[in-house]
Parts: sequence; structure tokens; C-alpha cells
Amino acid sequence: MEEPPGLDIRYTYVTDTPYLRQWLEIPSVQQWFPVSEEREIADCVQCWIGFSKYSASITATLNGTPCGIGTLFLMPYRKVAHHCLFKLIVDPKYQGKGVGTALLRNLKHLAKNYFHLEIIHIEVFEGNPFIHLLLKHGFQEYTRQEKFVKDDHGYHARILFECYL
Amino acid sequence: MTDASKLTFRLTKEEDAPHLLQWLSDPKILRWFPMYDAREVEDAVRIWIGYSRIEAGMTALWDGVPCGMANLYIQPYKKQAHTCLFSIIVRNDMRGKGIGKQLMEHLMKHAKDKFKIEILHLEVYDGNPARHLYERLGFKEFGKQSRFIKEDGKYTAKIFMQTAL
Repeated sequence: MEEPPGLDIRYTYVTDTPYLRQWLEIPSVQQWFPVSEEREIADCVQCWIGFSKYSASITATLNGTPCGIGTLFLMPYRKVAHHCLFKLIVDPKYQGKGVGTALLRNLKHLAKNYFHLEIIHIEVFEGNPFIHLLLKHGFQEYTRQEKFVKDDHGYHARILFECYL
Repeated sequence: MTDASKLTFRLTKEEDAPHLLQWLSDPKILRWFPMYDAREVEDAVRIWIGYSRIEAGMTALWDGVPCGMANLYIQPYKKQAHTCLFSIIVRNDMRGKGIGKQLMEHLMKHAKDKFKIEILHLEVYDGNPARHLYERLGFKEFGKQSRFIKEDGKYTAKIFMQTAL
């Protein structure tokens, strides 16, 4: 997929916080994340954006406006510092336009070349359309936990994917 | 296996922290945890003991002295609040007395009664003899992360197990 014109990738700034919060408040986005209320979103956003101080987070911008964020949740302990979990989110207005692909490609590059990580992994809820992108970019499922998520529609599995860099 | 009159259980208190710190400082125990050095152990103890504020920890006492602890890492998000990860530790010289099994039984009951946990899950490193205890208590493996630990260039897998309460 071609990148949309005007797309740029830069490190995440703390000033990107309101965008992340706003995207997580949108029900069609929120359904794929563990958050479900304001306090949870605030906690999640604070933790997520906190990784920007380690230069472990990147933001996609379209004509200067943030439209997606990808972040490496670096591990705090040495024995497990060769891998990390990551999260990625795209403004629903720009989904399906190559923003997620650009973020994923740049995040893998950051993980491998700057942090010297060997593996990155992600947790997604079953049915998340992002799974297609993960599979296209070399991720493999390594664990599936049934009934990990419980909402008004019942139970859903979480699926863990990893990619060797 | 145990002298029942000597073994008692209570909720974990903040003052139990030095015991946990001491047990985790034993290399024979620490090898089964992700922490590597004193700084990392202190960090992990701070997080673990922090859960005592919400009464999520259980301490086993032998003649009134702490000899084991188990902790529920209560989920901060509603959608996942029916599941919970836990960790457990028994003082090295107190193993083989059935303390771990009884501590687990107390923790499982506490998880169900106080926190309404439906699914209790754990992460154990490949080769850890504690796995047999988890199997005896009904835990089943549902996933594996092959290269979770890296020490001296060698990898050890992390195994995911869970049970319904």
C-alpha cells in the first residue's frame, strides 16, 4: 500500500496526548483496547505516552496533524530486555490508508536498530482487523487466551503475536 | 506434610517486604523470576507489596514468621477484571512441606470470593518444578513464548497456564 501524501513519521511528543485520548474515546477504536471508561483511558494514555521520554514512541502525522501512534513498551528487566510489547493506534478517519503500515515498518526499524531488540510482540483481541496487517508483516501467533476479554457482547480471546527482527 | 498448627495464613502487609526482598535475593529462587540484580528485585518487591493496599496479597506464616507469599495482580481495566495473573514464592528452606499448595488454595479462594475472578492465570519458566504444583491444582497450559528469558546467550521459554475458578 502506498503512503498517503503528506504523511510523516516523527518521535512522539507529550503534546500528542490529547490525540491518543481522543482516539481511545471513539467506540469503534475502543472495542479493540482494554479501556472502557474515562479513568481507564487516562491511566492507559499516561502509561503509553510515558515511553516517549525514552524515544520509544513514534507518531504519524498527515500535513502536521497526528493520525497514529506506535509505541514500544520497553521491558524494565535485563533478562527480558531483548524483546518488548508494542501498541499501535490509528485515527479511524485514516485507517486503511497506509498509516498503520508506515508506523509498523518504522517501529520495527526503531526496535531493531536503535534498541537492538530481537523480538517485538503484541496482544490483540480476536476479530481485530489489525491482525491482517500483522500477518502481512511477518508476525506469527504464539498464544491464544480464550475468554480474556468480557464486555456487553460476551467473552473474547486475546491473541499474542510476535515477530523476530 | 506440614504441622498444621504451625502454618497460618493472612493478608500480606507492607512490613512483609523485607522477607520478600530476602527470598528473591537468593539466586536459586531468582532464576525463576525476570529480575536480574538488586535494583530490579527492589522494583519488583515494591510493585508486589503495593497490591497489599487493595488486599490482593496472601502471606503464609510458619510459627508466625512469613515463609511464603502469593499475589494477585488485579487488572486495572473492567473488561479484563474477571481474569488475573498471580505470582507465588516460598522461602527456599521451607519448600517440600506443602506450603505452596496451601498458599495457592488460599489465594484461589480469595481471588474468587473477594475479587470475583473467573480465570486465574500464571507465567512459569520452562523447567521450573513449580509447574507440577500448578498442574495438580488444575492449571492447564494454553501458550508458550519461546525466547522470553535471555541469560548468557541462552533462551528460556515462558509457559502460560490458567484455570477457571
